Amino acid sequence: MMQSKNQKYMFLLFCLAPTFIVFAIFTVYPLLNGLYLSFFDWSGMSGTKDFIGWDNYKQLLKDPIIPKTIWHDYFLVVTKVVGIMVLSTYFAVALTQLRIKEAPFYRIVFFFPNIMSVVIIGILWTFIYNPDLGIVNSGLKAIGLGSWAEPWLGSPDWALASLVLPSVWAGIGLFMLMLMGGIMNVPKNLYEAADIDGAGSWQQFWRVTVPLVWPQIKTSILYIVITTLNGSFIIVQVMTEGGPNNATQVMGSYLYQQAFKQFHFGYGATIGVMILILSLATVLILQFLLRKEKVEY
Amino acid sequence: MRFGKILVKTGMRIPLIAWSIAVIYPVIWMVLGAFKSNGEIFASPWALPKSFSFDNFVTAWTDFNIGSSFLNSIFVTMLGTVLCLVFSLPTSYAIERIRFRGSKVLFNVYLSAMMIPMVLGWIPLFFLLMKLHMLNSLWGLGVVYAVTQIPFSVFILTSFMGTVPKELEESAAIDGLSPYGILFKIVTPLVLTGIITVSIMNAITFWNEYFMALIFLQSDDQYTLGVAMDLMNQKAQYTNAWGALFAGLTIAVIPIMIVYGIFQRHIVKGMTEGAVKG
Repeated sequence: MMQSKNQKYMFLLFCLAPTFIVFAIFTVYPLLNGLYLSFFDWSGMSGTKDFIGWDNYKQLLKDPIIPKTIWHDYFLVVTKVVGIMVLSTYFAVALTQLRIKEAPFYRIVFFFPNIMSVVIIGILWTFIYNPDLGIVNSGLKAIGLGSWAEPWLGSPDWALASLVLPSVWAGIGLFMLMLMGGIMNVPKNLYEAADIDGAGSWQQFWRVTVPLVWPQIKTSILYIVITTLNGSFIIVQVMTEGGPNNATQVMGSYLYQQAFKQFHFGYGATIGVMILILSLATVLILQFLLRKEKVEY
Repeated sequence: MRFGKILVKTGMRIPLIAWSIAVIYPVIWMVLGAFKSNGEIFASPWALPKSFSFDNFVTAWTDFNIGSSFLNSIFVTMLGTVLCLVFSLPTSYAIERIRFRGSKVLFNVYLSAMMIPMVLGWIPLFFLLMKLHMLNSLWGLGVVYAVTQIPFSVFILTSFMGTVPKELEESAAIDGLSPYGILFKIVTPLVLTGIITVSIMNAITFWNEYFMALIFLQSDDQYTLGVAMDLMNQKAQYTNAWGALFAGLTIAVIPIMIVYGIFQRHIVKGMTEGAVKG
């Protein structure tokens, strides 16, 4: 290379500095400032910002809504992981192993909800659950199960569970694609060998497919967990706003209400810190639980 | 044996068909609802509309401000997508192709930002934007959008940079091309697929974003589609303007359908690669 050292540094600066500066201003600073704010009592622009030490954290431990929000978030995490993983694994296996002619059709259709906005999905499903004109209740009535009809999102017993279906509906496609990618990379001769050894398709699935696709399964689970803990409040905000009577309140929606509706910005930041700690801890624990020797093939 | 196999294959198809219906039917229901009057929606939620009138679309577009929100969304999406590319392309090139101390660390900083819940940062970000007079501004929102997608974009673009042959850069350097020339005249055209993939992914994300828009935008003339739809949904609960709401939803979904139709391969590739490595 003909260029001088100086030229190289100028070019590096040109490439890296502007990006890192905006990243520092709009991502790193807000996160650090969020930690800092969690030690203050602050109602926003005009109010005084009082340093109160750990008081927000003490309040957090005593707040009766907080355990509910945590439980609701983890309920969504578990049901979504189970629902999405079971269905998307089934679809991925069926679409790769069965040689179905119309497989591309399913792939395109199943992925479509993944690119729809959560607002649209939320509003659409609010309609689907609508007690009077929704598909669910009118469908139940049509097949003679009218007594099972519920005001799904308005019922404290059913509201949280009702949020699972739209999330699974919107999530399947992506994980199906990831798993399909993994399955297509499994060498064909492994299945042939398993066939010769007399392994049935169920055994082949558990002994060949699952171990070899484990990296994709692990990534999918972690991805669902992270996106749920960090983003479940969006569907909650659109469909129920945390109601009825906090029955669907999750950590993020509670943060939003405390900070931007009640103007407890310091306490909101404390909830944010809790979300950060819980999601990082959950990811670390899961990574430990899901670790497995890498399979060579 | 053959008969058994056919039976199994048919049996395994049932869930596939069922799920296709579960995905397609609500969307069709929504689009058909956009053509129905309120009376029709209540009387027969399952039936086809009696006549295809566009009244609901007109109501949604003008009375519920979906038209101006649509344009706002287009503006923010384009601004965010272009800015994000301007920031991530040179950084990805430097990280992947130039030897310097700390390149791994920098890459990992961006990578770990993808795991951190940004919701904690939104409170300070709100006040920062206020200080910078970027609150309630589509320009401000576009800048924030661009920055939030830098980690993902750097991540995907570096993997595309890795596929450019080193020899091409070397011979261009020997011919006297500056590093800037190499980046913009040689490398950029070669990673065009990556640029398109990342830009579509980002554009879809920005088009769909709702919560930051809800927090950072405050007057309805600035609202993007997500916020406007949410507001419309709340209004429709009181006014029973269901047909118009269905029409609004349909308007908001149409661009996504078109983009998906055209770029289906790119989207699928970007989604899978981004997710697998993340």
